[in-house]
Amino acid sequence: MALIEIKNLSYTYPGASNPSIHDVSLKIEKGEFVLITGPSGCGKTTLCRCFNGLVPHFYQGEIKGEVTVSGINVLEKHTYDMAKHVGLVFQNPENQLFALSIEKDVAFGLENLGASREEMRKKVDWTLKQTGIYDIRERSPHEISGGQQQRVAIASVLAMEPDIIVLDEPTSFLDPLSAEKIFEVIYRLNKEQGITVILVEHRLDLTAKYTDHLIVMDKGAIRLEGDPRDILSNEETRLIGVGIPKATLLYQMLKKEGFNLGDKTPLSSDELADQLLEAYGQR
Amino acid sequence: MSVFDGLKFRKVSSPIHNLDPRIKFVYVICIFVAAIMFKSIIPLAALFVMQLPFVFVAKVQKQWLRSMRGAAFLAAFIFIINIVTRFFSAGYVFTAFDIEEATAMTLRFIVLVESFSVFFLTTSPDHLGLALEQSKVPFEFAFAFTTAVRFVPVLAEEAQTIMDAQKARGLELEKGNLMKRIRNYIPVLIPLIVSAIRRSLELAEAMESRAWGACKKRTNLYALKLHRGDYILLALIIVILVAASYFFVFVSIPTVASFFGL
Ligand SMILES: Nc1ncnc2c1ncn2[C@@H]1O[C@H](COP(=O)(O)OP(=O)(O)OP(=O)(O)O)[C@@H](O)[C@H]1O
Ligand SMILES: [Mg+2]
Repeated sequence: MALIEIKNLSYTYPGASNPSIHDVSLKIEKGEFVLITGPSGCGKTTLCRCFNGLVPHFYQGEIKGEVTVSGINVLEKHTYDMAKHVGLVFQNPENQLFALSIEKDVAFGLENLGASREEMRKKVDWTLKQTGIYDIRERSPHEISGGQQQRVAIASVLAMEPDIIVLDEPTSFLDPLSAEKIFEVIYRLNKEQGITVILVEHRLDLTAKYTDHLIVMDKGAIRLEGDPRDILSNEETRLIGVGIPKATLLYQMLKKEGFNLGDKTPLSSDELADQLLEAYGQR
Repeated sequence: MSVFDGLKFRKVSSPIHNLDPRIKFVYVICIFVAAIMFKSIIPLAALFVMQLPFVFVAKVQKQWLRSMRGAAFLAAFIFIINIVTRFFSAGYVFTAFDIEEATAMTLRFIVLVESFSVFFLTTSPDHLGLALEQSKVPFEFAFAFTTAVRFVPVLAEEAQTIMDAQKARGLELEKGNLMKRIRNYIPVLIPLIVSAIRRSLELAEAMESRAWGACKKRTNLYALKLHRGDYILLALIIVILVAASYFFVFVSIPTVASFFGL
Protein backbone atom coordinates (compact mmCIF):
# COMPACT_ATOMS: atom_id res chain seq x y z
CA MET A 1 0.00 0.00 0.00
CA ALA A 2 1.20 3.48 -0.84
CA LEU A 3 2.20 5.84 1.97
CA ILE A 4 -0.50 8.31 0.96
CA GLU A 5 -3.64 7.25 -0.82
CA ILE A 6 -6.41 9.65 -1.71
CA LYS A 7 -9.50 8.32 -3.41
CA ASN A 8 -12.15 10.47 -5.10
CA LEU A 9 -11.73 13.29 -2.67
CA SER A 10 -14.03 16.31 -2.93
CA TYR A 11 -14.16 19.06 -0.38
CA THR A 12 -16.16 22.26 0.04
CA TYR A 13 -15.30 24.92 2.63
CA PRO A 14 -18.19 25.89 4.89
CA GLY A 15 -20.22 28.59 3.20
CA ALA A 16 -18.51 28.16 -0.16
CA SER A 17 -20.71 27.38 -3.15
CA ASN A 18 -18.15 25.44 -5.16
CA PRO A 19 -15.87 22.63 -4.03
CA SER A 20 -12.21 23.68 -3.64
CA ILE A 21 -11.12 20.13 -4.34
CA HIS A 22 -12.97 18.09 -6.87
CA ASP A 23 -12.67 14.34 -7.29
CA VAL A 24 -8.96 14.06 -6.58
CA SER A 25 -7.28 10.67 -6.50
CA LEU A 26 -3.62 10.39 -5.70
CA LYS A 27 -0.97 7.89 -4.65
CA ILE A 28 2.36 8.81 -3.13
CA GLU A 29 4.98 6.19 -2.32
CA LYS A 30 7.41 6.21 0.57
CA GLY A 31 10.56 8.24 -0.06
CA GLU A 32 9.22 10.22 -2.99
CA PHE A 33 9.91 13.91 -3.56
CA VAL A 34 6.60 15.17 -4.91
CA LEU A 35 6.17 18.61 -6.38
CA ILE A 36 2.71 20.15 -6.64
CA THR A 37 2.17 23.21 -8.76
CA GLY A 38 -0.67 25.08 -10.43
CA PRO A 39 -2.16 28.55 -10.71
CA SER A 40 -3.26 30.56 -7.70
CA GLY A 41 -6.48 29.37 -6.11
CA CYS A 42 -6.40 25.92 -7.70
CA GLY A 43 -6.60 24.17 -4.35
CA LYS A 44 -2.99 23.31 -3.52
CA THR A 45 -3.19 24.61 0.03
CA THR A 46 -6.51 22.90 0.55
CA LEU A 47 -5.03 19.59 -0.59
CA CYS A 48 -2.11 20.03 1.84
CA ARG A 49 -4.59 20.53 4.67
CA CYS A 50 -6.15 17.17 3.83
CA PHE A 51 -2.92 15.29 4.52
CA ASN A 52 -3.05 15.87 8.27
CA GLY A 53 -6.75 16.36 8.76
CA LEU A 54 -6.88 20.15 9.14
CA VAL A 55 -9.42 19.64 6.41
CA PRO A 56 -12.01 18.68 7.54
CA HIS A 57 -11.42 18.72 11.33
CA PHE A 58 -10.18 22.30 11.71
CA TYR A 59 -12.00 23.83 8.76
CA GLN A 60 -15.22 21.79 8.97
CA GLY A 61 -17.05 21.86 5.65
CA GLU A 62 -18.20 19.02 3.51
CA ILE A 63 -15.91 16.17 2.52
CA LYS A 64 -16.35 13.09 0.36
CA GLY A 65 -13.88 10.37 -0.47
CA GLU A 66 -11.00 8.69 1.35
CA VAL A 67 -7.68 9.92 2.68
CA THR A 68 -5.25 7.33 4.02
CA VAL A 69 -1.83 8.37 5.31
CA SER A 70 0.65 5.83 6.75
CA GLY A 71 -2.19 3.38 6.86
CA ILE A 72 -4.37 5.69 8.98
CA ASN A 73 -7.76 6.94 7.92
CA VAL A 74 -7.24 10.69 8.33
CA LEU A 75 -10.93 11.48 8.37
CA GLU A 76 -11.34 9.48 11.56
CA LYS A 77 -8.34 10.78 13.47
CA HIS A 78 -7.59 14.07 15.16
CA THR A 79 -5.06 16.41 13.63
CA TYR A 80 -2.86 15.95 16.69
CA ASP A 81 -2.76 12.21 16.08
CA MET A 82 -1.49 12.88 12.57
CA ALA A 83 1.27 15.21 13.74
CA LYS A 84 3.59 12.26 14.34
CA HIS A 85 3.12 11.14 10.75
CA VAL A 86 2.73 14.30 8.70
CA GLY A 87 4.46 17.63 9.33
CA LEU A 88 2.97 20.70 7.70
CA VAL A 89 5.10 23.77 6.99
CA PHE A 90 3.21 26.87 5.94
CA GLN A 91 3.85 29.87 3.76
CA ASN A 92 4.44 32.61 6.30
CA PRO A 93 7.24 31.66 8.67
CA GLU A 94 6.39 34.47 11.04
CA ASN A 95 3.00 33.01 11.98
CA GLN A 96 4.27 29.54 12.65
CA LEU A 97 6.71 30.44 15.38
CA PHE A 98 5.20 31.27 18.70
CA ALA A 99 7.78 30.55 21.34
CA LEU A 100 10.33 33.04 22.57
CA SER A 101 13.33 30.97 21.57
CA ILE A 102 14.10 28.84 18.53
CA GLU A 103 14.83 25.81 20.63
CA LYS A 104 11.56 26.05 22.50
CA ASP A 105 9.69 26.32 19.23
CA VAL A 106 11.35 23.21 17.89
CA ALA A 107 10.41 21.38 21.09
CA PHE A 108 6.78 22.55 21.01
CA GLY A 109 5.41 19.48 19.22
CA LEU A 110 7.33 17.06 21.40
CA GLU A 111 6.15 18.85 24.52
CA ASN A 112 2.58 18.44 23.32
CA LEU A 113 3.18 14.75 22.73
CA GLY A 114 4.46 14.42 26.27
CA ALA A 115 8.00 13.31 25.39
CA SER A 116 10.48 12.97 28.22
CA ARG A 117 13.06 15.69 28.70
CA GLU A 118 16.06 13.55 27.68
CA GLU A 119 14.33 12.31 24.58
CA MET A 120 13.33 15.84 23.67
CA ARG A 121 16.84 17.17 24.17
CA LYS A 122 18.23 14.52 21.85
CA LYS A 123 15.67 15.00 19.11
CA VAL A 124 15.73 18.78 19.28
CA ASP A 125 19.51 18.91 19.00
CA TRP A 126 19.50 16.45 16.12
CA THR A 127 16.85 18.44 14.29
CA LEU A 128 18.58 21.75 14.86
CA LYS A 129 21.73 20.31 13.34
CA GLN A 130 19.88 18.77 10.39
CA THR A 131 18.43 22.14 9.47
CA GLY A 132 21.60 24.09 10.16
CA ILE A 133 20.24 26.32 12.93
CA TYR A 134 22.00 24.77 15.91
CA ASP A 135 24.14 27.87 16.46
CA ILE A 136 21.17 30.20 16.73
CA ARG A 137 19.04 27.96 18.92
CA GLU A 138 18.83 30.41 21.81
CA ARG A 139 17.81 33.44 19.79
CA SER A 140 14.28 34.72 19.62
CA PRO A 141 12.27 34.58 16.38
CA HIS A 142 12.57 38.29 15.63
CA GLU A 143 16.34 38.15 15.81
CA ILE A 144 16.72 35.86 12.79
CA SER A 145 16.14 36.19 9.05
CA GLY A 146 13.08 34.95 7.18
CA GLY A 147 15.08 32.07 5.72
CA GLN A 148 16.21 31.03 9.16
CA GLN A 149 12.66 31.36 10.46
CA GLN A 150 11.44 29.01 7.78
CA ARG A 151 14.16 26.54 8.66
CA VAL A 152 12.96 26.72 12.26
CA ALA A 153 9.44 25.94 11.04
CA ILE A 154 10.78 22.92 9.18
CA ALA A 155 12.77 21.85 12.22
CA SER A 156 9.75 22.16 14.45
CA VAL A 157 7.81 19.57 12.46
CA LEU A 158 10.89 17.47 11.79
CA ALA A 159 11.45 17.06 15.53
CA MET A 160 8.35 14.89 15.75
CA GLU A 161 10.01 12.53 13.26
CA PRO A 162 7.19 12.43 10.72
CA ASP A 163 7.18 10.06 7.76
CA ILE A 164 6.08 12.90 5.52
CA ILE A 165 6.82 16.60 5.39
CA VAL A 166 4.40 18.79 3.46
CA LEU A 167 5.61 22.28 2.59
CA ASP A 168 3.13 24.80 1.23
CA GLU A 169 5.06 27.43 -0.74
CA PRO A 170 7.67 27.64 2.00
CA THR A 171 9.80 30.14 0.14
CA SER A 172 7.33 32.67 -1.21
CA PHE A 173 8.41 35.19 1.44
CA LEU A 174 12.10 34.62 0.79
CA ASP A 175 14.78 35.81 -1.60
CA PRO A 176 16.05 33.28 -4.18
CA LEU A 177 19.25 32.51 -2.32
CA SER A 178 17.49 31.72 0.98
CA ALA A 179 14.91 29.79 -1.00
CA GLU A 180 17.59 27.65 -2.56
CA LYS A 181 19.04 26.89 0.87
CA ILE A 182 15.62 25.76 2.08
CA PHE A 183 15.24 23.48 -0.93
CA GLU A 184 18.65 21.98 -0.28
CA VAL A 185 17.72 21.25 3.33
CA ILE A 186 14.52 19.56 2.18
CA TYR A 187 16.29 17.61 -0.52
CA ARG A 188 18.87 16.34 1.93
CA LEU A 189 16.18 15.22 4.36
CA ASN A 190 14.55 13.35 1.52
CA LYS A 191 17.72 11.67 0.29
CA GLU A 192 19.52 11.02 3.57
CA GLN A 193 16.67 10.43 6.01
CA GLY A 194 14.23 8.93 3.53
CA ILE A 195 11.52 11.36 4.53
CA THR A 196 8.78 11.66 1.95
CA VAL A 197 8.50 15.26 0.80
CA ILE A 198 5.50 17.00 -0.72
CA LEU A 199 6.43 20.46 -1.87
CA VAL A 200 4.02 23.04 -3.24
CA GLU A 201 5.89 25.57 -5.38
CA HIS A 202 5.55 28.08 -8.16
CA ARG A 203 9.28 28.43 -8.66
CA LEU A 204 9.92 25.39 -10.82
CA ASP A 205 13.18 26.95 -12.00
CA LEU A 206 14.65 26.11 -8.62
CA THR A 207 12.76 22.97 -7.73
CA ALA A 208 11.93 20.90 -10.81
CA LYS A 209 15.35 19.23 -10.70
CA TYR A 210 14.63 17.66 -7.29
CA THR A 211 11.46 15.82 -8.17
CA ASP A 212 10.51 12.71 -10.02
CA HIS A 213 6.81 13.05 -9.39
CA LEU A 214 5.19 16.28 -10.54
CA ILE A 215 1.53 17.10 -10.02
CA VAL A 216 -0.14 19.94 -11.90
CA MET A 217 -3.43 21.11 -10.44
CA ASP A 218 -6.03 23.39 -11.92
CA LYS A 219 -9.48 24.38 -10.67
CA GLY A 220 -9.49 21.95 -7.77
CA ALA A 221 -8.49 18.90 -9.77
CA ILE A 222 -5.28 17.15 -10.78
CA ARG A 223 -4.74 17.86 -14.45
CA LEU A 224 -1.37 16.26 -15.09
CA GLU A 225 0.76 13.91 -13.07
CA GLY A 226 3.98 12.04 -13.62
CA ASP A 227 7.56 12.52 -14.82
CA PRO A 228 8.41 16.24 -14.77
CA ARG A 229 10.39 15.95 -18.01
CA ASP A 230 7.31 14.84 -19.88
CA ILE A 231 4.90 17.19 -18.19
CA LEU A 232 7.02 20.30 -18.50
CA SER A 233 7.54 19.80 -22.22
CA ASN A 234 3.79 19.38 -22.63
CA GLU A 235 1.99 22.32 -24.24
CA GLU A 236 -1.01 21.87 -21.93
CA THR A 237 1.13 22.57 -18.89
CA ARG A 238 2.10 25.98 -20.24
CA LEU A 239 -1.52 26.80 -21.00
CA ILE A 240 -2.62 26.04 -17.44
CA GLY A 241 -0.22 28.75 -16.37
CA VAL A 242 2.63 26.78 -14.86
CA GLY A 243 5.95 28.60 -14.84
CA ILE A 244 8.08 26.30 -17.00
CA PRO A 245 11.78 26.42 -16.03
CA LYS A 246 13.83 28.70 -18.31
CA ALA A 247 16.19 25.88 -19.17
CA THR A 248 13.32 23.71 -20.36
CA LEU A 249 11.91 26.53 -22.49
CA LEU A 250 15.28 27.29 -24.01
CA TYR A 251 15.79 23.61 -24.79
CA GLN A 252 12.47 23.50 -26.61
CA MET A 253 13.26 26.63 -28.62
CA LEU A 254 16.66 25.32 -29.61
CA LYS A 255 15.16 21.98 -30.51
CA LYS A 256 12.61 23.66 -32.75
CA GLU A 257 15.44 25.50 -34.48
CA GLY A 258 17.02 22.16 -35.27
CA PHE A 259 19.67 21.91 -32.59
CA ASN A 260 20.19 18.38 -31.44
CA LEU A 261 20.70 18.31 -27.68
CA GLY A 262 19.60 14.77 -26.98
CA ASP A 263 16.22 13.46 -25.91
CA LYS A 264 16.36 14.29 -22.23
CA THR A 265 14.41 17.45 -21.41
CA PRO A 266 16.58 19.48 -19.01
CA LEU A 267 14.98 20.78 -15.80
CA SER A 268 17.75 23.12 -14.65
CA SER A 269 20.37 25.34 -16.22
CA ASP A 270 23.08 22.94 -15.08
CA GLU A 271 21.52 20.09 -16.98
CA LEU A 272 21.06 22.23 -20.07
CA ALA A 273 24.64 23.44 -19.88
CA ASP A 274 25.86 19.85 -19.72
CA GLN A 275 23.76 18.91 -22.73
CA LEU A 276 25.02 21.90 -24.68
CA LEU A 277 28.61 21.08 -23.84
CA GLU A 278 28.11 17.48 -24.83
CA ALA A 279 26.58 18.38 -28.17
CA TYR A 280 28.66 21.39 -29.13
CA GLY A 281 31.46 21.57 -26.58
CA GLN A 282 34.21 20.02 -28.67
CA ARG A 283 35.15 22.24 -31.57
CA MET B 1 11.61 50.90 13.82
CA SER B 2 13.42 52.29 16.83
CA VAL B 3 10.13 53.12 18.56
CA PHE B 4 9.28 49.45 18.78
CA ASP B 5 12.66 48.20 19.78
CA GLY B 6 11.63 48.61 23.38
CA LEU B 7 8.94 45.98 22.85
CA LYS B 8 11.36 43.37 21.64
CA PHE B 9 12.97 41.49 24.42
CA ARG B 10 16.56 40.47 24.45
CA LYS B 11 18.17 37.74 26.43
CA VAL B 12 20.56 39.10 29.02
CA SER B 13 22.55 37.09 31.46
CA SER B 14 23.59 38.22 34.91
CA PRO B 15 23.48 36.65 38.36
CA ILE B 16 20.19 38.48 38.92
CA HIS B 17 18.70 37.63 35.54
CA ASN B 18 19.50 33.98 36.14
CA LEU B 19 17.61 33.84 39.42
CA ASP B 20 14.43 31.81 39.45
CA PRO B 21 11.61 34.21 38.60
CA ARG B 22 9.33 32.60 41.16
CA ILE B 23 11.73 33.36 43.98
CA LYS B 24 12.24 36.84 42.62
CA PHE B 25 8.53 37.34 42.66
CA VAL B 26 8.33 36.22 46.28
CA TYR B 27 11.06 38.77 46.95
CA VAL B 28 8.96 41.52 45.39
CA ILE B 29 6.02 40.52 47.57
CA CYS B 30 8.26 40.52 50.62
CA ILE B 31 9.49 44.04 49.89
CA PHE B 32 5.87 45.04 49.37
CA VAL B 33 4.83 43.69 52.74
CA ALA B 34 7.79 45.30 54.47
CA ALA B 35 7.12 48.64 52.78
CA ILE B 36 3.52 48.60 53.89
CA MET B 37 4.45 47.80 57.50
CA PHE B 38 6.42 50.98 57.98
CA LYS B 39 5.35 54.58 57.88
CA SER B 40 8.61 56.30 58.63
CA ILE B 41 11.53 57.35 56.54
CA ILE B 42 14.38 55.32 57.97
CA PRO B 43 13.13 51.76 57.33
CA LEU B 44 11.71 52.76 53.94
CA ALA B 45 14.99 54.36 52.95
CA ALA B 46 16.70 51.17 54.05
CA LEU B 47 14.39 49.13 51.83
CA PHE B 48 15.12 51.48 48.96
CA VAL B 49 18.89 51.20 49.34
CA MET B 50 18.74 47.46 49.81
CA GLN B 51 17.57 46.95 46.26
CA LEU B 52 20.29 49.02 44.64
CA PRO B 53 22.81 46.16 44.60
CA PHE B 54 20.35 44.18 42.47
CA VAL B 55 20.23 47.00 39.96
CA PHE B 56 23.98 47.25 39.73
CA VAL B 57 24.74 43.54 39.65
CA ALA B 58 22.16 43.11 36.88
CA LYS B 59 23.67 46.13 35.06
CA VAL B 60 20.27 47.64 34.38
CA GLN B 61 21.04 51.06 35.88
CA LYS B 62 20.03 52.91 32.73
CA GLN B 63 16.65 51.29 32.32
CA TRP B 64 16.11 51.45 36.05
CA LEU B 65 16.81 55.20 36.12
CA ARG B 66 14.41 55.65 33.27
CA SER B 67 11.63 53.83 35.08
CA MET B 68 12.32 55.77 38.28
CA ARG B 69 12.18 58.99 36.33
CA GLY B 70 8.83 57.84 34.99
CA ALA B 71 7.62 57.31 38.53
CA ALA B 72 8.99 60.67 39.73
CA PHE B 73 6.01 62.59 38.46
CA LEU B 74 3.56 60.39 40.28
CA ALA B 75 5.76 60.50 43.39
CA ALA B 76 5.76 64.28 43.36
CA PHE B 77 2.01 64.21 43.02
CA ILE B 78 1.65 61.90 46.00
CA PHE B 79 3.94 64.13 48.02
CA ILE B 80 1.99 67.29 47.24
CA ILE B 81 -1.39 65.71 47.92
CA ASN B 82 -0.10 64.44 51.23
CA ILE B 83 1.27 67.79 52.28
CA VAL B 84 -1.82 69.68 51.21
CA THR B 85 -4.30 67.40 52.93
CA ARG B 86 -2.25 67.45 56.11
CA PHE B 87 -1.98 71.21 55.93
CA PHE B 88 -5.74 71.65 55.70
CA SER B 89 -6.80 68.89 58.09
CA ALA B 90 -4.39 70.07 60.78
CA GLY B 91 -5.90 73.54 60.73
CA TYR B 92 -3.54 75.39 58.42
CA VAL B 93 -0.37 74.48 60.27
CA PHE B 94 2.69 72.80 59.06
CA THR B 95 5.07 70.72 61.14
CA ALA B 96 8.31 68.97 60.43
CA PHE B 97 6.51 65.75 61.25
CA ASP B 98 3.99 66.33 58.47
CA ILE B 99 6.73 66.77 55.94
CA GLU B 100 8.39 63.66 57.21
CA GLU B 101 5.27 61.55 56.93
CA ALA B 102 4.54 62.86 53.47
CA THR B 103 8.08 62.01 52.46
CA ALA B 104 7.67 58.53 53.93
CA MET B 105 4.48 57.96 51.94
CA THR B 106 6.24 59.05 48.79
CA LEU B 107 9.20 56.87 49.59
CA ARG B 108 6.90 53.92 50.13
CA PHE B 109 5.50 54.41 46.66
CA ILE B 110 8.99 54.68 45.23
CA VAL B 111 10.04 51.46 46.94
CA LEU B 112 7.04 49.65 45.46
CA VAL B 113 7.81 50.92 41.98
CA GLU B 114 11.46 50.11 42.45
CA SER B 115 10.90 46.51 43.43
CA PHE B 116 8.52 45.98 40.55
CA SER B 117 10.87 47.54 38.08
CA VAL B 118 13.79 45.49 39.35
CA PHE B 119 11.68 42.37 38.86
CA PHE B 120 10.61 43.19 35.34
CA LEU B 121 13.95 44.60 34.25
CA THR B 122 15.79 41.49 35.33
CA THR B 123 13.29 38.84 34.27
CA SER B 124 13.15 38.00 30.59
CA PRO B 125 9.66 37.15 29.32
CA ASP B 126 10.67 33.64 28.32
CA HIS B 127 11.85 33.02 31.85
CA LEU B 128 8.61 34.42 33.16
CA GLY B 129 6.61 32.29 30.73
CA LEU B 130 8.54 29.26 31.89
CA ALA B 131 7.78 30.11 35.50
CA LEU B 132 4.09 30.37 34.61
CA GLU B 133 4.25 27.04 32.79
CA GLN B 134 5.81 25.34 35.76
CA SER B 135 3.62 26.80 38.44
CA LYS B 136 0.03 25.71 38.80
CA VAL B 137 -1.18 28.15 36.15
CA PRO B 138 -2.97 26.28 33.32
CA PHE B 139 -0.73 25.99 30.28
CA GLU B 140 -3.17 27.93 28.10
CA PHE B 141 -2.51 31.06 30.16
CA ALA B 142 1.23 30.66 30.08
CA PHE B 143 1.01 30.10 26.35
CA ALA B 144 -1.19 33.15 25.87
CA PHE B 145 1.37 35.18 27.76
CA THR B 146 4.36 34.09 25.69
CA THR B 147 2.50 34.45 22.40
CA ALA B 148 1.45 37.94 23.40
CA VAL B 149 5.06 38.84 24.10
CA ARG B 150 6.05 37.24 20.82
CA PHE B 151 3.48 39.06 18.71
CA VAL B 152 3.24 42.49 20.28
CA PRO B 153 6.29 43.80 18.39
CA VAL B 154 5.06 42.13 15.21
CA LEU B 155 1.68 43.80 15.47
CA ALA B 156 3.23 47.13 16.41
CA GLU B 157 5.38 47.01 13.33
CA GLU B 158 2.37 46.13 11.25
CA ALA B 159 0.38 49.03 12.71
CA GLN B 160 3.20 51.33 11.66
CA THR B 161 3.16 49.91 8.13
CA ILE B 162 -0.61 50.34 7.86
CA MET B 163 -0.38 53.89 9.17
CA ASP B 164 2.27 54.73 6.60
CA ALA B 165 0.22 53.15 3.84
CA GLN B 166 -2.93 55.05 4.82
CA LYS B 167 -1.00 58.30 5.16
CA ALA B 168 0.37 57.77 1.69
CA ARG B 169 -3.24 57.62 0.52
CA GLY B 170 -3.96 60.96 2.11
CA LEU B 171 -5.22 59.95 5.55
CA GLU B 172 -4.50 62.71 8.06
CA LEU B 173 -4.24 61.24 11.50
CA GLU B 174 -3.45 64.34 13.54
CA LYS B 175 -6.23 66.56 12.32
CA GLY B 176 -9.45 67.80 13.85
CA ASN B 177 -10.88 67.67 17.36
CA LEU B 178 -10.67 64.70 19.69
CA MET B 179 -13.64 62.80 18.25
CA LYS B 180 -12.40 63.40 14.73
CA ARG B 181 -8.96 62.19 15.65
CA ILE B 182 -10.31 58.99 17.13
CA ARG B 183 -12.34 58.45 13.99
CA ASN B 184 -9.23 59.02 11.91
CA TYR B 185 -7.77 55.85 13.35
CA ILE B 186 -10.55 53.61 12.06
CA PRO B 187 -8.86 53.05 8.67
CA VAL B 188 -5.80 51.93 10.60
CA LEU B 189 -7.60 49.76 13.11
CA ILE B 190 -9.74 47.77 10.71
CA PRO B 191 -6.90 46.38 8.56
CA LEU B 192 -4.93 45.76 11.74
CA ILE B 193 -7.74 43.74 13.28
CA VAL B 194 -8.39 41.81 10.09
CA SER B 195 -4.75 40.93 9.77
CA ALA B 196 -4.52 39.97 13.44
CA ILE B 197 -7.45 37.60 12.99
CA ARG B 198 -5.85 36.05 9.93
CA ARG B 199 -2.62 35.70 11.84
CA SER B 200 -4.35 34.00 14.72
CA LEU B 201 -5.99 31.54 12.35
CA GLU B 202 -2.65 30.67 10.79
CA LEU B 203 -1.21 30.34 14.25
CA ALA B 204 -3.99 27.99 15.30
CA GLU B 205 -3.40 25.93 12.19
CA ALA B 206 0.31 25.67 12.91
CA MET B 207 -0.41 24.70 16.53
CA GLU B 208 -2.85 21.99 15.47
CA SER B 209 -0.27 20.65 13.06
CA ARG B 210 2.20 20.40 15.89
CA ALA B 211 0.06 18.17 18.05
CA TRP B 212 -1.53 20.82 20.23
CA GLY B 213 -3.79 19.05 22.70
CA ALA B 214 -2.42 15.58 21.99
CA CYS B 215 -1.67 14.75 25.57
CA LYS B 216 -3.18 15.82 28.87
CA LYS B 217 0.15 15.97 30.62
CA ARG B 218 2.32 18.27 28.58
CA THR B 219 6.05 18.10 29.20
CA ASN B 220 8.60 20.87 29.06
CA LEU B 221 12.02 21.11 27.43
CA TYR B 222 13.36 23.22 30.25
CA ALA B 223 13.16 22.64 33.96
CA LEU B 224 13.37 25.49 36.40
CA LYS B 225 15.74 24.40 39.11
CA LEU B 226 16.74 26.33 42.16
CA HIS B 227 20.43 27.20 42.19
CA ARG B 228 22.67 28.58 44.90
CA GLY B 229 21.67 32.14 44.11
CA ASP B 230 18.02 31.29 44.58
CA TYR B 231 18.67 29.85 48.02
CA ILE B 232 20.63 32.95 48.97
CA LEU B 233 17.74 35.12 47.84
CA LEU B 234 15.31 32.93 49.76
CA ALA B 235 17.44 33.36 52.88
CA LEU B 236 17.49 37.10 52.29
CA ILE B 237 13.71 37.14 52.04
CA ILE B 238 13.39 35.40 55.36
CA VAL B 239 15.89 37.76 56.98
CA ILE B 240 14.02 40.79 55.68
CA LEU B 241 10.68 39.49 56.89
CA VAL B 242 12.00 38.56 60.33
CA ALA B 243 13.87 41.83 60.74
CA ALA B 244 10.90 43.85 59.55
CA SER B 245 8.55 42.09 61.94
CA TYR B 246 11.02 42.53 64.78
CA PHE B 247 11.39 46.25 64.21
CA PHE B 248 7.70 46.61 63.66
CA VAL B 249 6.77 44.99 66.94
CA PHE B 250 9.60 45.76 69.36
CA VAL B 251 11.39 48.87 68.23
CA SER B 252 9.88 52.31 68.15
CA ILE B 253 11.44 53.80 65.10
CA PRO B 254 12.90 57.27 65.60
CA THR B 255 11.88 60.00 63.23
CA VAL B 256 14.49 61.88 61.26
CA ALA B 257 13.32 65.09 62.88
CA SER B 258 14.17 63.74 66.32
CA PHE B 259 17.85 63.62 65.34
CA PHE B 260 17.75 67.35 64.90
CA GLY B 261 16.05 67.82 68.23
CA LEU B 262 12.85 69.03 66.68
N1 LIG C 1 -10.51 29.06 4.62
C1 LIG C 1 -11.21 29.09 3.47
N2 LIG C 1 -12.53 29.27 3.48
C2 LIG C 1 -13.24 29.30 2.34
N3 LIG C 1 -12.69 29.17 1.12
C3 LIG C 1 -11.37 28.98 1.03
C4 LIG C 1 -10.55 28.93 2.21
N4 LIG C 1 -9.27 28.75 1.82
C5 LIG C 1 -9.29 28.68 0.48
N5 LIG C 1 -10.54 28.80 -0.01
C6 LIG C 1 -10.94 28.74 -1.42
O1 LIG C 1 -10.56 27.49 -1.94
C7 LIG C 1 -9.99 27.62 -3.22
C8 LIG C 1 -8.63 26.99 -3.25
O2 LIG C 1 -7.77 27.74 -2.43
P1 LIG C 1 -6.33 27.31 -2.04
O3 LIG C 1 -5.87 28.24 -0.98
O4 LIG C 1 -6.30 25.88 -1.73
O5 LIG C 1 -5.53 27.60 -3.38
P2 LIG C 1 -3.97 27.56 -3.67
O6 LIG C 1 -3.76 26.69 -4.82
O7 LIG C 1 -3.24 27.24 -2.42
O8 LIG C 1 -3.66 29.05 -4.09
P3 LIG C 1 -2.34 29.92 -3.86
O9 LIG C 1 -1.38 29.54 -4.92
O10 LIG C 1 -2.83 31.32 -4.02
O11 LIG C 1 -1.87 29.64 -2.48
C9 LIG C 1 -10.00 29.09 -3.56
O12 LIG C 1 -11.08 29.34 -4.41
C10 LIG C 1 -10.20 29.78 -2.22
O13 LIG C 1 -10.97 30.93 -2.39
MG1 LIG D 1 -1.88 28.28 -1.18
